[in-house]
Amino acid sequence: MAILVVNNISKHFGGLQALFKVNISVEAGTTHSLIGPNGAGKSTLLNVLTGQIEPNEGSVVFKDRPLLNITPHKINQLGIARVFQTPAIFPEMVLLENVMAAVFASRDGAYKFNLLESRRHAQSVANFAIEILEQVGLQHKIRSEARFLSRGDKRRLELAICLAHKPSLLLLDEPTAGMARHETESTIELLRSISKKNMTIVIVEHDMNVVFALSDTITVLSQGQVIAEGIPDHVRGNPAVIEAYLGKEHA
Amino acid sequence: MGIINRGTIHLTVFALIVLTFPFWFEYTGGYAGLDTKIIIWAIFALGFDLLLITGYLSFGHAAFFGISAYATGLMLLHYSSNIIEAMIVGVVVSTIAAVIIGFLTLRRTGIYFSVLTLAFGEMFHTAAVSIFSGLTGGENGLTGLPTPTLFGEKMQGSNVFYLCAIFLIIGFYLARRITRSPFGLMLKSLKSNQTRLEYIGINVQFYKNSAFVLSSIYAAVAGSLMVIYEPYVATEFLEWKTSGTLVIMSVMGGVGTLFGPMIGAAFMLYFENVASVFLEEQWLLALGIMFMAIVVYLPGGFVDGYKRMMRHWVKKNQA
Repeated sequence: MAILVVNNISKHFGGLQALFKVNISVEAGTTHSLIGPNGAGKSTLLNVLTGQIEPNEGSVVFKDRPLLNITPHKINQLGIARVFQTPAIFPEMVLLENVMAAVFASRDGAYKFNLLESRRHAQSVANFAIEILEQVGLQHKIRSEARFLSRGDKRRLELAICLAHKPSLLLLDEPTAGMARHETESTIELLRSISKKNMTIVIVEHDMNVVFALSDTITVLSQGQVIAEGIPDHVRGNPAVIEAYLGKEHA
Repeated sequence: MGIINRGTIHLTVFALIVLTFPFWFEYTGGYAGLDTKIIIWAIFALGFDLLLITGYLSFGHAAFFGISAYATGLMLLHYSSNIIEAMIVGVVVSTIAAVIIGFLTLRRTGIYFSVLTLAFGEMFHTAAVSIFSGLTGGENGLTGLPTPTLFGEKMQGSNVFYLCAIFLIIGFYLARRITRSPFGLMLKSLKSNQTRLEYIGINVQFYKNSAFVLSSIYAAVAGSLMVIYEPYVATEFLEWKTSGTLVIMSVMGGVGTLFGPMIGAAFMLYFENVASVFLEEQWLLALGIMFMAIVVYLPGGFVDGYKRMMRHWVKKNQA
């Protein structure tokens, strides 16, 4: 069953056609990668999905619900979490607070005027936050400030923040960008363990090792259009894909 | 941990310091009346800190202090000398203004927000001395107010002090609870990374507005108490200088620490009134130099200085 359906999405910025009649269907419980050369429209598409950019035409349906024209926080409350290219965390707060904020957001919704509730007495929230931090392997650092983490650990923390919501769809924008090889490998392992928990994941990624290690389905975008889609082996040998990446003479 | 936890101890110590303030303040060179003024400004600064926690620097909080002061003054003058109605009207009117101004200014961040609040503040000040001068007494301020009363008791001298002290203690208790609540965590997160906060499903605008209104309620209470302390409303209550003083107090004391801005308020008023006796006209210059030194060498203010000293001391003792 498709959890996310992108129908005929087009977006232009002035004269630049960033997306042109893009159709993508993401099956529940799978890991779906969006790849393509620079400027293919991958990030624009992610921004459309999370409400940052309004498309010129087309529709997005998530769990049978139209997703356009609603604010990012509402999209998040519907069960879509997003990991940014540069880890978006709360740098001045300790790890536990980082994740607890997300758990509270999940428990209380978009706004709650609970001025007098004690955070310290919210044991179940703290326990769940610790559980998630364990899941991403940061349990030893819960009391340290997030800004002191390595790039790889910041990414783990961001994933923990996203998982706090128990999202049904996780969007990852280049999760291994700027990482050393060993960090990339451990991030792949982490993502694999997350995807095994029946989570639907959409990844935008440049690193083909990551893409082929994780994907069930790959969609290739080039100049705003879908040029190929299918299982990794099918996409790997596709001449249109090779041409888009390497030029005509290689195809 | 039992009934007595750290929070209770902090609050008790704080309450004791505040309630005994008049008894030891005179030994430090302070004079009667200045203690009440310090307490009122501490309420103002404490509430301001609830907004600063979110990373939004308002340069227009004088508006809420002043609006409440005028409303209280007008109630005392035209309705009754009883402070209960006067305070309630002062705070309610000011809060309504805060809801509207917050809604309009919090759409912008950083310097744009600060400038917008400054503009709104000045707008109220200008209105008070021009088009509304019939109501506000114009440049002369609102004069001829009766001595305020509470249940028939005249509010003068130590009566006013203890009224203000009770408000400060309750205000401190609430501010502490707020910063330690899930709501407070959202305010802190707002300063740290607004985008991420939005992407964990939080309606950022609502939280910003709430913090703005909460801080303005403190400002309104302080403004109202100022009129009860000294039955006179000066136009300078609405002036940008009042907002500026509040910012300087907060920065000197330590933004986001609750204690800091209150200490900053006490320090500044003490300095203004006591140190100026021997520094005469030069006290502002001395204050300016101190302010710069703090911003450059101790960005966390007095509270940060205290923490550094304690760390240093602990290290030294361990060595």
